[in-house]
Amino acid sequence: MNRRKMLALLGASPALVATTPSYAGAAPKKTPGAAPPMTTGLITALNPAVTPKLATRKPLAPRLDTLDGKTIYLVDTDWGGMGQNDGILQDMQAWFAEHMPSVKTIIKVKKGNFVTDDPALWKEIAENKGDGVVLGVAG
Amino acid sequence: MSSEAGEIEQKYHIPVVAAAGSNVVSFGLGANMTYNTGMPIRYVGVPFPFSGQPKSVLQGYIEGKDTVSGKPMMQAIVDALTKPLTDAEKMSGVPAESSPEPRLLPADTEDNLQLCFKEKGWTDYNPVIIPTQERVAAMLKGTSHMPDEIVKSAAGTFGTRRPFTVENVATLAVMAGAKPEYFPVILALSSMVPYQDSTTSIAQMVVVNGPIRKQIAMNSGLGALGPDNDANSVIGRSMTLIHKVIQGYQEGVTGFASLSNPLRYNNLCIAENEESLPEGWQPFHVQMGHQANDSIVTIFTGWNFINSTGWVEQHYAPQNLMRDYMSSLSGMGATLLMDPSVAELLKNAQGFQTKAALGEWLSQNVEKTAQSYWGNSIVSSMLGPLGAQGLEPYATWRKLPGETAIKPFANPKSIHAVVVGGKTASVWFATDFMPGKGASIDAWR
Repeated sequence: MNRRKMLALLGASPALVATTPSYAGAAPKKTPGAAPPMTTGLITALNPAVTPKLATRKPLAPRLDTLDGKTIYLVDTDWGGMGQNDGILQDMQAWFAEHMPSVKTIIKVKKGNFVTDDPALWKEIAENKGDGVVLGVAG
Repeated sequence: MSSEAGEIEQKYHIPVVAAAGSNVVSFGLGANMTYNTGMPIRYVGVPFPFSGQPKSVLQGYIEGKDTVSGKPMMQAIVDALTKPLTDAEKMSGVPAESSPEPRLLPADTEDNLQLCFKEKGWTDYNPVIIPTQERVAAMLKGTSHMPDEIVKSAAGTFGTRRPFTVENVATLAVMAGAKPEYFPVILALSSMVPYQDSTTSIAQMVVVNGPIRKQIAMNSGLGALGPDNDANSVIGRSMTLIHKVIQGYQEGVTGFASLSNPLRYNNLCIAENEESLPEGWQPFHVQMGHQANDSIVTIFTGWNFINSTGWVEQHYAPQNLMRDYMSSLSGMGATLLMDPSVAELLKNAQGFQTKAALGEWLSQNVEKTAQSYWGNSIVSSMLGPLGAQGLEPYATWRKLPGETAIKPFANPKSIHAVVVGGKTASVWFATDFMPGKGASIDAWR
């Protein structure tokens, strides 16, 4: 049955329906228990979205009880590439020296550039018994 | 940064606190943690702007507050290294998968679907063609590949897993307005996600070579760079939709382009005018090692797009003005888009027998000062550290007095030429767009 015949049987003028403004707001109201709405004029579309896969969760390393007597590496990611982070890390180092003098701080610059990994440095920090790392600054 | 912090925490069990701007923090604790690292790295946040600020401003950031916790910055750093882990930070294992996206959307009106697609961020905010099952089925006839074939899994930013199928791409191709015959090009484009993003105004350019250009009536001639051809326009738009929907690019969530770039509407989608190349000048894809009969799509990535403004003057050879304009580019790479009439002048009047010869000449003749070279933050951030570590020529260039002239395009092979246009004016563009590895279109027929 075509749409025009169906509307005629229901007592509605196809011309009237044709001039009904398009619905542009929220979804049409549904009456509980009512028959499913007529699908005339409705479109079934494919969903373009893809389903991302969740990453396996991994716990963080246990935190330190205290920083007293600990060695903290301040690692410069060299964001900007021309020693731009130097000042920030030096300021951090100065803050520790003034406020937490028992903390030993070591500034290291990551090799490569800000988008490359430096696994040798992480190994070096571990072998030299680094207790914590401040990694920065990126933006 | 999250990956590096995660590596230190996981492999060596050393606590890390990462300091970063809000874009990195937001991505690191959002999409990157959820879909990539799986680790809720402890961050402290520094305010924007960060880059290019004098040391006094940066010092103020240390004396100021952490933008994540609101605590004084150094207290926040101490806390991040010492406060016991929360349950969420101790979590391990495979989480329940997110609910899969249904294949079909609930039936709705055209207007509501248009609104829905915009609100979901699935469009470029121009109306799309609603991807009905019939339209998508018709699009799928443009390839021999099965609808449920996985094109790629590592499709998200930084390679997060967002597996997508041939049918997903067909859906986007319909939305962009594509004809089925364009579909192999669009599939080849999709096989190269993720596309490069940045907080800077990075953009992409799509260049198609080979027989497919004529088969689908791409424009490589008159008005090729303008909105005057169906295939150029729609294929370029498809790439934008792939970037947003398949790669999952959302401004402020997975990407943080401060100004972004208007080229992203169409990704400068063109075909090379291979038929108008001067004798001896090879099509771009042939230069890259492909056969002339291969159909290849190449994505170039860059920032700058400098118009020659007018035509070539007889009293100033075209390569001279190209040299002048290119001195404002970074030096990391360049692609000249030139009208066939310019290519003919360069070959016949100036003696450049090949594209490579032009690249050699420009490599030797483009100059800029060392301080201008290093003043470009892309150069300084990518190559500055390599120079500091002794890699030449950057090590030498870092030590030069600022006013010293250098030849920034040290590698002549980084200078490319694509011939395109309709010969009504001897015009050209100098760009810093650099090509990636091209993808076979034939593989997706």
